[in-house]
Amino acid sequence: MTAAADAPARPRRRRFDLDRTLNTLAAWVLALMWILPLAFAIWTAIHPSAYEARFELLAPLTFENFEKAWGAAPFARYFLNTFMLVTLILAGQFLLCTLAAYAFARFTFPGRSILFTLVLLQLLVMPDILIVENYKTMRILGLVDTIPAIALPYIASGFGIFLLRQTFMTVPRELDEAARIEGSSILGILWRVYIPLAKPTYLAYGLVSVSHHWNNFLWPLIVTNSVDTRPVTVGLSVFSAIDSGIEWSVINAATLMTSGPLLIAFLLFQRQFVQSFMRAGIK
Amino acid sequence: MPRRLLGLLLVLPALTVILFLFVLPLALSVVGAFETEAGYGLDNFTKSFALYSSDILFTVVIVGLSTCLIGLFSIAIGGYLTLGENPRAVAILRWLYRWPLFIPFIVVGQVLRTFLAKNGLMNNILVGAGLITPLQAVSFLDWRGIVIAFVWKQTPFVTLLLAGAMASVDRGTIEAARNLGASRLRILIEILVPQVATTLMVGLVLSFVTMMSVLSVPLMINAQSPTMLTADIAFRINAYGDYGVANALGLISLAATACVAWFYLRQSMKERG
Repeated sequence: MTAAADAPARPRRRRFDLDRTLNTLAAWVLALMWILPLAFAIWTAIHPSAYEARFELLAPLTFENFEKAWGAAPFARYFLNTFMLVTLILAGQFLLCTLAAYAFARFTFPGRSILFTLVLLQLLVMPDILIVENYKTMRILGLVDTIPAIALPYIASGFGIFLLRQTFMTVPRELDEAARIEGSSILGILWRVYIPLAKPTYLAYGLVSVSHHWNNFLWPLIVTNSVDTRPVTVGLSVFSAIDSGIEWSVINAATLMTSGPLLIAFLLFQRQFVQSFMRAGIK
Repeated sequence: MPRRLLGLLLVLPALTVILFLFVLPLALSVVGAFETEAGYGLDNFTKSFALYSSDILFTVVIVGLSTCLIGLFSIAIGGYLTLGENPRAVAILRWLYRWPLFIPFIVVGQVLRTFLAKNGLMNNILVGAGLITPLQAVSFLDWRGIVIAFVWKQTPFVTLLLAGAMASVDRGTIEAARNLGASRLRILIEILVPQVATTLMVGLVLSFVTMMSVLSVPLMINAQSPTMLTADIAFRINAYGDYGVANALGLISLAATACVAWFYLRQSMKERG
């Protein structure tokens, strides 16, 4: 019985080892390929320009490229603008999305399904079709070339409402009832029961939102035209225009500075970020 | 206060923003695309197709090709993360594949512009490895560069969704298939992928929509003609103040996205009976 069971297992094991080796090799190659462009950017940014296209393990390290990039454009102002922008958007989104998600999760009201479909529609419509009309609206409101103009179109995020609604729907109704019996108002229940239980989702959504709006380029490019309002992505494009004559190593240093805060945030919060996708249950 | 009214009041702030900065602009964009000096007509569309038909085709082909490649890479990476048996390789791949997710598109464009250029690191590696001579080095700063940039940037997003879905697939089925001698490739194709197909479709549709609206990558990697529609829209607004054609181009992009979304919705309706 044992011998019979072992007999077919032996050749399978040999094939399996080859399969395993090839798979592992492919995984390593894929992983290294994926990181190569980023590794190249880091390499050129921290080495003199003479080494920007050749690899020498013992090449001297330098931070001169970062200094040059920082001095060549008002990056401090760009970072401040971006920081104000993502803070404004996130605060607006947390407020509006929380209230709307709570209503969609726990209230029945006329037109609820249609309104929720409208919210979800935002996920499928490309923002650039709205750029012209949104620009006209901002001009009417006298907001062109201001940070609120960049932020306003995004504060009622469809993704945020959807994600929070999904989370709120998992909160047991018994907790809701218990809080009501203890005399909490509707907003009190939201504040004391739903929001604390949804903290991981808020953190994860916050990361996604900050990352997305830090990256945004087209709308800020259209609606801003001065250093006082330009976010870092638009500033970087102005700084590194093809005909600017700036060395690649300096451009790459500026590029890394631009995404540095996001990469640090990713390092710090990657577990929460990944879990947010698992929890969202998008289907 | 009645609960029904309270529900509406809670939705009202978000609804106001959606109405004024999404629904209304969307409706006005559609109307604006048909608006001409002589009233309403198809002039903007005629002009758009006359000037940019190759760009429309270019955009759809580039984004479509990128979406297919993203799907393939996501399945490969997600599959290895779920079925891989070398813990170190799994851990390294899991740690490395996510990084582009947090890099802005403009940075992706910037990094790849220097990486894929004729005298960039990619060609230097190939020359150094003796695979090509310096004279054979070619620049990838054309449609290939855009596809590489899109695939590099968007694959982690789809993989993240996919790996989560694959991780929740019943391990018993996978183990049973393994015990019956099925290879990992067969388990991936016949067991895992069918079970996560809906998640894969969602990720790919969202990626398609995202890529259709990216401006920085085509602007940095391939600004020459043919280019992507986003670059044309920005050009019509910035250079000519031509909102009619810009709106028409936006609507054409939306039509392409809507086709993909409709395909997905039809599939998912079918699956749900």
